[in-house]
Amino acid sequence: MRLDLLGQKALLFFGSLLFVLYVLAPIAWLVSSSLQSEAEITSVPPHWVPQQPTIENFQAIFTAKDKVVTYENRKQGDPATGGFIPSTASNLLPSMWNSLLVALAVVVLNLLVSVPAAYALAKIRFIGRSTSIYFMLSTRVIPDIALVVPFFLFIHKLGLLDTLSSLVITYLAITVPFSIFILTNYFESLPDELDKAARVDGCSRLQTMLLVYLPLALPSLVAVVLFTFLTSWNELLLALMFTQTPAAQTMPIVVASFTSDFSISFSFINAAGVLAIIPPVIVAVVFERYIVSGLTAGAVKG
Amino acid sequence: MARIRFESVGKQYPNGFVALKDFNLVIEDKEFLVLLGPSGCGKSTTLNMIAGLEDVSEGSLFFDDELMNITPPHKRDVAMVFQSYALYPNKSVYDNIAFGLRMRKHPREEIDRRVRDAARRLEIEPLLQRRPDQLSGGQRQRVALGRAMVRQPQVFLMDEPLSNLDAALRISMRAEIKQLHQAMQTTFVYVTHDQAEALTLADRIVVMKGGVVQQIGSPDAIYERPANMFVAAFLGNPSINFLDGQLIERQGQLKFQRGSLTLALPPMAQQCLAGQAGREVVLGMRAEDVETDGPTGEDGIEGRVLSVLPVGSDQFLEIEVEGVKTFLRVGKEGKHRLGEPARLRVNLNRLHLFDKQSGSNLMYPA
Amino acid sequence: MKNPLAAVRGAWRYPVSAYDQKSAMWLLSPMLVVLMVVAVFPVIYSFWVSLYDLKLTRPHRVPFVWFDNYLKIFADPLFWESVTRTASFTVMSVTAIMVIALLMALLLNQEFRGRRVLSAILLIPWAIPYVANGLMWKWIYDSGYGALNGLLLQLGLIDKYLVMLGDVNKTMGLITNAFVWKEVPLATILILVTLKSIRADLYSAAKVDGANVWQRFLHITLPALVPGFALVMIYEAMMAIRHFDLFFILTEGGPAEASHVLAWQVYVETFRKLAFGTGSALAYIMAVATFMLAFFIIRSTSRKL
Repeated sequence: MRLDLLGQKALLFFGSLLFVLYVLAPIAWLVSSSLQSEAEITSVPPHWVPQQPTIENFQAIFTAKDKVVTYENRKQGDPATGGFIPSTASNLLPSMWNSLLVALAVVVLNLLVSVPAAYALAKIRFIGRSTSIYFMLSTRVIPDIALVVPFFLFIHKLGLLDTLSSLVITYLAITVPFSIFILTNYFESLPDELDKAARVDGCSRLQTMLLVYLPLALPSLVAVVLFTFLTSWNELLLALMFTQTPAAQTMPIVVASFTSDFSISFSFINAAGVLAIIPPVIVAVVFERYIVSGLTAGAVKG
Repeated sequence: MARIRFESVGKQYPNGFVALKDFNLVIEDKEFLVLLGPSGCGKSTTLNMIAGLEDVSEGSLFFDDELMNITPPHKRDVAMVFQSYALYPNKSVYDNIAFGLRMRKHPREEIDRRVRDAARRLEIEPLLQRRPDQLSGGQRQRVALGRAMVRQPQVFLMDEPLSNLDAALRISMRAEIKQLHQAMQTTFVYVTHDQAEALTLADRIVVMKGGVVQQIGSPDAIYERPANMFVAAFLGNPSINFLDGQLIERQGQLKFQRGSLTLALPPMAQQCLAGQAGREVVLGMRAEDVETDGPTGEDGIEGRVLSVLPVGSDQFLEIEVEGVKTFLRVGKEGKHRLGEPARLRVNLNRLHLFDKQSGSNLMYPA
Repeated sequence: MKNPLAAVRGAWRYPVSAYDQKSAMWLLSPMLVVLMVVAVFPVIYSFWVSLYDLKLTRPHRVPFVWFDNYLKIFADPLFWESVTRTASFTVMSVTAIMVIALLMALLLNQEFRGRRVLSAILLIPWAIPYVANGLMWKWIYDSGYGALNGLLLQLGLIDKYLVMLGDVNKTMGLITNAFVWKEVPLATILILVTLKSIRADLYSAAKVDGANVWQRFLHITLPALVPGFALVMIYEAMMAIRHFDLFFILTEGGPAEASHVLAWQVYVETFRKLAFGTGSALAYIMAVATFMLAFFIIRSTSRKL
């Protein structure tokens, strides 16, 4: 009996260790690399822990705006290491700002669209209800790729190419089905009788939704906000299509451009990578419990 | 303040299920009406239609001669207490009770006054700042009552509000609800499947089964003169005893016969069923109308004791009569042993006779 | 004073209140508008475009070519290669994801201290953008200075640095690994959710009946897991089929088309060659294929239920 318990604990311990290693090792390496100078980073075999940690890479990103990188300039780069700062470096911070604006806009609009729809689908019996549900589910199946051409032509016609609004519209379109799905599930798990009580108490359907159900759906609302924010923040393909100038580019595009630049400073790229992942990681870690509980339908007491 | 009228109302669900058919009912103002029946009989559906939570498929619903079919619930002046109380979990007791008044834009001082008034009457004043999950079942129930009370509505609806309470609480709450009705002077419509509750509370009872009204009447009328076998069996605890048999004529008098059992019938029966000897009928005997000190001979009933169930103040006897198991309630003085023969005496004037085919009452046709 | 809405006495009207219908429509209208844009519009429009030979390089001459684009695609050997490649990528990644996610979910399902910490850590790969993911792995896989090479060297498994992403034989495997690493968290959570919904008293009953850990897993956990598992599989398969970002960042379809998958082909066709007609047709084929796959899986798993 004792052995069994010990064996279980050992198994758990090993399992956890493997788990953590699998998940964190690549990230740890990313962070470690970002703190190494160009010289150190190119050592063979690599230094797993930086022996001379430096924040010059991060500094380079933040000051890149001030230094206009020209062709001659580029060649000079950082002579000590032989690495170069990508010509698009100065765009990184502005593009993160763009990403943030777009993500926030999408989250707000998403909620405005999804919450009423989810409430109606979950709590109101009406003609066309099951049709609406199937319709909504089937749109989820369409791959983003299929949206490329029609959206491009559509946005082009609207003259919205290369603006942030084009991104907001398209991201809205791809995040809404999933949000509605999650919210509807959650609303369905909330007791029906609250709806009846509120309506008898004098609430119209809209008021019932806002005053009674919304406060109760907090976990799944948070989950939806997170999903929407992250999808928006991370999206690459559509952003690639719709934006051409740095004014409207979002973070993934700029980061992607680093990798295709001809001669690159590895440490710089890693630093850029770290910057790019900080907001999502913080958001995910802070809201971890909501993500899980928002995906499951919770039970409501009373 | 509100006279509710159902005119040929029907309700059918999209899947074809018919919950109500050709329902006609007038609920008088200030009346305490109870809708009684087994689950699925349509009583909750009827209540929901008054509230506006369910739509009327066919027919018309009137409040004081105003057609209400398409009016949504928040525009009607009804209040409702639910079986599961349906309190808003994230609001305090105070906010729960005040909610309806706030939605209807009453001034703040008035809301406060009414809420505290109701809380005092229901003895939940100290709980006003608590939340529902911090309350016991009985307390939650009072909050639910309070929420409905403060609205001072035209109609007060209750959907099996006491079923989730334990037995002792249930009895005391019945009395409180009765008092509430007196104090509020409003129409009360109450749904339950508990016949004792119905008998205690109602001014009138509507007995329903399968979407069809079986009988409407005062508790006394329904108990004493049930319209059919279903109503007779539904009310009364223990359930009424039925004996199949037929009418025979002896010496110019109609009697009930089953096997070797012959029973005289009350004058009412002689009148209504004159000349119908040979008709197949069902005799109904309530448990409390039978005693075990029966005479021998023709007016007595012979039987054998199958079981004895003491219940504190009385005892229940299960006695087999002519192959049928009957239940009697007698005082606890009598000593009876299993397997013993027994002679029963029944109060003739309290016998019921029903038609074997339709089950309807032969002496007091509905 | 009959009900004005009832047509004929005895005729059953559909029992939905007009108010409910109206308010539902209002609440639903924003969603319908959005879905029209994302579902109906692209499907119809892209089909329409695929019937034309639309090339942005010569935007003024747009001949209507019926299904020519489709025929051209089906005749192209590269297309079929990418189909196979996409298929094998999907199968490999989904298998890996499901296995790893299941193990992790089983681990997280146990009660132990620090479980929340693990849970939070788990979310990190899911949260980071695909571009960052690509960047990270590109650096790890780097042929000159990458960590993978370094690790293998230090472990003595190789004696000099190998070409990684540039190697035709290795590249798909490496991309798969990067993809799996990022997808595992979500799959784990979804499986975990399913695991948690299994009633605890079933396990108690089984323990009393004498079942050991393995038997309990086999008879209780596994059967209850099937529907949720299938759902996650479908979702991950769809993500794999349509995946673009890693192929863009890591290899751009190379080397020598070794990682040329369907999504990449659509991109090339549409944005490098600017042939919107064929690009559309390709996208449409992909969409239809994905749809049918999902439909097929749902059908076959719901029969098992």
